[in-house]
Amino acid sequence: MSFKNLFIEHELTPEVKQWIEQEIAEQEERFSTIAQQMDDLSEIREKWYQEFFDRITTAGFNEDGDMKVKIKPEDLPVKPEGRKDQVIWKYGVDSE
Amino acid sequence: MARPHIEPFCDRDTHFKDMTLPGFARGMGYKMLSFDVDTGACSMTVQLDGGYRQEPGFPWSELEMIVIEGELKVGDRTCRKGHYFFVPAGYCMPEISTDQGCLVLMMYNTGEPSHEPANEHHPLAQVGLYHDVDSYMDIPWAPGNVAKPSVASGCLIKLLNYNPISHAMTFLYCMTPAFYQDNISYHDCAEESYHLWGTSWMMQFGEIPTGGYFWRPAYINHGAFASEYGCIALGRTDSKLFNHFHYNPWTNPTENAHRSAARLYKRDPLLYKWAISYDHNHPHGPEDFEDTMQRRGDEQGHDTKHKSDGKRHDHWHGHHHHHDDSPHKHD
Repeated sequence: MSFKNLFIEHELTPEVKQWIEQEIAEQEERFSTIAQQMDDLSEIREKWYQEFFDRITTAGFNEDGDMKVKIKPEDLPVKPEGRKDQVIWKYGVDSE
Repeated sequence: MARPHIEPFCDRDTHFKDMTLPGFARGMGYKMLSFDVDTGACSMTVQLDGGYRQEPGFPWSELEMIVIEGELKVGDRTCRKGHYFFVPAGYCMPEISTDQGCLVLMMYNTGEPSHEPANEHHPLAQVGLYHDVDSYMDIPWAPGNVAKPSVASGCLIKLLNYNPISHAMTFLYCMTPAFYQDNISYHDCAEESYHLWGTSWMMQFGEIPTGGYFWRPAYINHGAFASEYGCIALGRTDSKLFNHFHYNPWTNPTENAHRSAARLYKRDPLLYKWAISYDHNHPHGPEDFEDTMQRRGDEQGHDTKHKSDGKRHDHWHGHHHHHDDSPHKHD
């Protein structure tokens, strides 16, 4: 993807600019829908997290490829107090 | 701002829209998957109706395509499911047509979708970068350990495109039935995937079925991973792929980025110290003398290989400019 030097400057017609604005607006709607759907998964996700912890403390954590390391229960992370379970970050590090 | 986090999205849940941009022939429908709000770059599922015919011409943006279903005729050649194309900006493609119709994944990497009718390449086209291949028939599957630490066995890849400068990649990947990998991952790069067939599962996002898609900015947690019956997908990264594995599902992108920087500090402490401590963290990256040194063939000190993302000039051409609103200087 993106060699970043492979773009040739050209004029954008008003028609193209309007198309771009329309796509941006529609993407905002898609993003909002996805963010809501992922919020709605929070409850089941908590269960998936617990199952994950169960597996990595018994069967092991994939450290590299198939190399697995059993994590000690006392080494499992603690959810920071007050932190919302968030998996969608609109622009990654720039969205915080 | 680039592209927002779109994950998961399934194109089967939406309808095709008619492509109305100038230059494109009628009979082209598209579903927008992700869209760069700054540049217009985007990824789309495209349906070309039976009888579609696109006259020869070139895109103003770099373009990648893979045939999802049906047959696409490129000039005299018939390209089937799995055929991949890398088309540099300004590269003139022959007539594109389809007799029975086809489904194509189109990715305009550096600008909005465009088709400029032409019979020859644009003078600025980097023609030698063009390549295409039948990725299903002509490339063998390879282990997925292109990055270390690597994915678990059962995740295989076919490399389709590789940028030797940024290490960005385009690749097919598959997960074998009953694949699983119990870790959480994030990367220092954006990652994109389109499920050509099959379903996979990630602990944060649930199942991604056929037609499922994501565009994920850097430093966002994803995984553990599983696929009950297997899947095949097209994946891309926009720079070097490094798997930062861990098992804390509650970290945020900033914490993950800090961890990446901490790992860089541990691995390359001198480089880290030089870059951070002496204010060498130029917003466009440090200068590479191989990009800037004067060469015998240069014209008036300008780098003859101008590099631009098309939205701002680079500083690698022998002298400096200053924007009024730029916070950095070149003292």
